[in-house]
Amino acid sequence: MAEYACLVVEDSAMMRQLLVFALARIKKLKVTEAEDGVDGLRKLAQGQFDLIITDINMPIMDGLKLVKRVRSDEKHKDVPIIIITTEGSTEDRQRAMSLGANAYIAKPIQAPQVIAKVKELLDIR
Amino acid sequence: MSDEKETDSAASGPSSAGDSSGVLEGVQEREAFVRTFLRKGMEFTEDLLRENESLRADLDRLRVENGRLRTQVASDEAIRDLLRTVEGLEEERTRLLERSSELEASRRQQVDLYGEIEREMNDLANLYIASHHLHTSLSVSSVVQHLRDMVHQLVGAECFVIYLVDADGLRARPIAQAELDPSTLEPIVLDGHPLGDACLTGLPRIRESNLDAGSLDDPLAIIPLLADGKAVGVVSIISLLEQKGDWAEVDRALFRLLGAQAGTALIAANLYSAVPSPGEALADLGQKLDVSALNNPEGAK
Repeated sequence: MAEYACLVVEDSAMMRQLLVFALARIKKLKVTEAEDGVDGLRKLAQGQFDLIITDINMPIMDGLKLVKRVRSDEKHKDVPIIIITTEGSTEDRQRAMSLGANAYIAKPIQAPQVIAKVKELLDIR
Repeated sequence: MSDEKETDSAASGPSSAGDSSGVLEGVQEREAFVRTFLRKGMEFTEDLLRENESLRADLDRLRVENGRLRTQVASDEAIRDLLRTVEGLEEERTRLLERSSELEASRRQQVDLYGEIEREMNDLANLYIASHHLHTSLSVSSVVQHLRDMVHQLVGAECFVIYLVDADGLRARPIAQAELDPSTLEPIVLDGHPLGDACLTGLPRIRESNLDAGSLDDPLAIIPLLADGKAVGVVSIISLLEQKGDWAEVDRALFRLLGAQAGTALIAANLYSAVPSPGEALADLGQKLDVSALNNPEGAK
């Protein structure tokens, strides 16, 4: 029985699958997928999530706008957000963190790194 | 002295009286002897008593000393017992420390092994997902997009170009790129170009050092995309993401996968795009799979 719900927002199907595969290793976690920011907002409106993982560069609504919208949403304003960035240190990452993201993972992503970060934010032993 | 005087006066008397005086002298001598004997005996007894008293005192002293020594011996024995126990405990402690070291080494080995398995699983997942997406895409644009994702998101390339090789194998034309202005990219004449060498041999060329100094004419990695042993495309990686300092082992596996599968995936998607529906794409499959073809796989080509 899953104890935590995680929303993965990523436009690349390949990357999404990679993230879902990594997160499947955390047994207490149920993962929901969204293809972009708008789809992410739709999924957020339909459910309750304990964690959001979002890419920054996405069509229609990018990760930065999504972070901003989530932080202004009463229902999910306190939900931890992990952003996935291309660069090790960029303005986008700094901006996302200033908008309220809790952590970041730089590409190319590694499953152990994702798992560790998620466990840390959800306080899963 | 008085006894001697009495003896002298008795000796100077008449002879009749001499006998009696002789007896008297004898008696006196015996008495003197007895008195002397008794006196000496008394003195000797007193000496014995003193000696006895002294010996008693010595005996008491020795008894006290003996008692003290007995206590000390008992105490020493207890200390020896304690020392033996301490020695035993020290040996046990050493043994436990050795066992603890062994267990710690074993634990570290397990952690390393677990980490290695984690990395292997991660690498296999990357390869599986990359292969899955390449071969489940039925449009050329999707295949190219997946190629881009593989090179950019899985390998961690920042700037790269994907080329298609002309049917005659003389030129390579850019079909996708990242971090480059498409208008600046032109077809490449393969003869004499590093890309041409890789396409000709079918072998990837991967630079092992100076990974921050790639260019279009001297890329960091060139991966020919093969179909039936012939290069139909080529991926040229110019630069890597800032946080990626070196190639990972999985990158080389991804390059091998790209080289072996991306070319055929492109061809399959391109052929599929020429037919309007999946059913029609398989329309003549029955004819190709006749009994003679199944019995002679070479003839099915």
